[in-house]
Amino acid sequence: MCTTPPQCTRPRRPSAVYSHTPPPGYNPQALALGEDVSSFPGDRRLVLSGSVNGQLSGCRDAMASEQHVLVLRVEVEGTPAEVQAWAAASELQGEPLWTRKILRQGGRKKDSGSGDQAGGHGGSPLDPALLPLVPEPGWYVSPRQPFSQPLAPELKARQLVLGAEHALLLDETGQVYTWGTGRLGQLGHGALEAELEPRQVEALQGLTMAQVAAGGWHSLCVSEAGDLYIWGWNESGQLALPSRAIAEREKTVAGAKIPATVGDGDPAQFISIQPFPAFLDLPSGSEVSTASCGSRHTAVVTRDGELYTWGWGKYGQLGHKNTASLDQPQRVDYFADNLLHVEAVICGPWNTYVYAVEGKN
Amino acid sequence: MSEASLSDNKMSATCSLSEELRDLLPQTKEDFKLDFSEKVEKSVVVLLHQARELFYEGKKNECLKTSEIIRDYSWEKLNTGNWRDVDKEWRRVYSYGCLLKALCMCLKTDDIAEAIRVCDMGLLMGASILGNILVKVVNVLQKHLQHGKRPSETGIEELSKKKTKSDHTLTPAVKLGTAVPQLQCPSLEFFRKNYLVPQKPVILEGIANHWPCMKKWSLDYIQEIAGCRTVPVELGSKYTDEEWSQSLMTVNEFISKYIVNKIPELKQDICIPDYCCLGNGEEEDITINAWFGPAGTISPLHQDPQQNFLAQVLGRKYIQLYSPEESEFLYPHETQLLHNTSQVDVENPNLIKFPKFTKASYQSCILNPGQILFIPVKYWHYVRALDISFSVSFWWS
Repeated sequence: MCTTPPQCTRPRRPSAVYSHTPPPGYNPQALALGEDVSSFPGDRRLVLSGSVNGQLSGCRDAMASEQHVLVLRVEVEGTPAEVQAWAAASELQGEPLWTRKILRQGGRKKDSGSGDQAGGHGGSPLDPALLPLVPEPGWYVSPRQPFSQPLAPELKARQLVLGAEHALLLDETGQVYTWGTGRLGQLGHGALEAELEPRQVEALQGLTMAQVAAGGWHSLCVSEAGDLYIWGWNESGQLALPSRAIAEREKTVAGAKIPATVGDGDPAQFISIQPFPAFLDLPSGSEVSTASCGSRHTAVVTRDGELYTWGWGKYGQLGHKNTASLDQPQRVDYFADNLLHVEAVICGPWNTYVYAVEGKN
Repeated sequence: MSEASLSDNKMSATCSLSEELRDLLPQTKEDFKLDFSEKVEKSVVVLLHQARELFYEGKKNECLKTSEIIRDYSWEKLNTGNWRDVDKEWRRVYSYGCLLKALCMCLKTDDIAEAIRVCDMGLLMGASILGNILVKVVNVLQKHLQHGKRPSETGIEELSKKKTKSDHTLTPAVKLGTAVPQLQCPSLEFFRKNYLVPQKPVILEGIANHWPCMKKWSLDYIQEIAGCRTVPVELGSKYTDEEWSQSLMTVNEFISKYIVNKIPELKQDICIPDYCCLGNGEEEDITINAWFGPAGTISPLHQDPQQNFLAQVLGRKYIQLYSPEESEFLYPHETQLLHNTSQVDVENPNLIKFPKFTKASYQSCILNPGQILFIPVKYWHYVRALDISFSVSFWWS
């Protein structure tokens, strides 16, 4: 976990790839598997650190995968914005692997005039970009080959998130669409078939969603009312549904609290795949303000400024001071204990970034 | 060492295990090859090199932690996309992770059964590395495993209770006119001309009855040779049920929990039928599976993409066979996952939902120990075990 970095009003969205908590005495530099990518709105500089280091100016937003870094960039104020894909190994030196210009600045704000040059002169900077969406309808990007993909403009996408093999889209009316492989129930249509085109999640029809999030093989969405719906793979308890692996580990740990519901290997009570949305109540009954998913864990911020996490915990990504995995939501006490009010959370594949401010009373 | 209060026996056992394992490995770290295609990300290759370095420097704890990361990362790759599309390089990475973990665990904590489990995961999901070293490591580990963890007598008692209390106690009668023909040791040419080419099922006698497994395989023997090994297990009475699932567990666990394949050592007790040479493939392309389960286990009506010899070792199986030409009467599932499986429950068909099923003509048999059934490619087959059953199937092309 990291707290607010200094000299920065609010960090935009860190896009973290793989890293983990090094054991004491170990050289973190040598062990980091991937890179951290952070973007600070103050100076629009992209900073790459970890197993590779580098910087790029003029970046509005960034996404990273283990091999590539994708940026939305206005290299020189006044020139059109571009999406650029860089090989991480290049350390952001030389030329990007791939670029594509943003031809028209659309996006959320009204266009001032009919000018089709993006960017600058004192005019509105590019909206907080919502990568993988770009401020031009018809396509989206991802930090893996091929870097751009078509997206039906009729969908009027407000938010797009990518899992390991699937995608979730939230449109302007609050409806959720999914596509990709469905083998682990991550599409939420009730079967395990793949969908080549965006298909609306019918189980959520009529509800207005405010946000979507995708983990490696699971999906969630938060409604305007603050309710949480979750579906997909539950092998590490990332859906907060009973997980066999967790129950078996608890049985073998001496002295551990054995949950009353664990039977003796009755397969029917464990859920490994949830193929359509399940409503999830947090223990406190609180409403959810925002959520994020890692590869196999989930983190949720409530409207009262608390953070709950669950799912795979082996690399400390749940923040409960241990490496246990959980199949039930648990509050991260660190923040309450330190009088911190949690405002935002972003998960990397195996880690969790939390934005918190000094407690409000 | 002289001050340690450890028993001398334990100390020397650990030492000899370490030595034996060390002998299996390349002597120098340079010989411990780590070559991967570009598919494997640079950061992962860096980690593998680090792990190798740590191992040869004797830093077991740190090597263990690094191997865990390698395993976990590659495991996620193995779970991305369809299994057949998973790049072999990632399966090799996974095997390296398992190998190093097993070696570091063992030398540190002496927890041999867990190390065997880790190696088995590498064998099940990984791909061959360093001259198939995982098999050799497992063999060494098995030798050193204490035999204290065998299922108790109670396990065996419960087993015999289950045996007498099977669900389907009535042995079905093979309907007149539907019986699969039986032949005693036909020549290759006779089999080819009359059964392989026209794709007709036949029971072969006198072939398998001399295989060592026919005499040797019993529950005790299986437990002795393979009890600590991890295998995939299907749970649920049939795979079209909603509660069907697959799970990984050791053979001992399976026996003690549910009773009552993937073990190379058991392969020595069986022989590949000569008839397989009539196919186009190489001998190493023949897939051999061992099937082991209680009475009442049902395989719902389905077809496989290769020719199959099903050899019965212990117990009897009731089998019904439908030619691919009958497919239109068999209502295969429409989903991609199950399109080779019929929706019809053969011994209890829903004729309101599946009326055409009555039109399907079939053959049937009870396959006894020592017999081999030839199931032509894509021939629909339904199987129910009448007793605790061991079978071996050979898939070939």
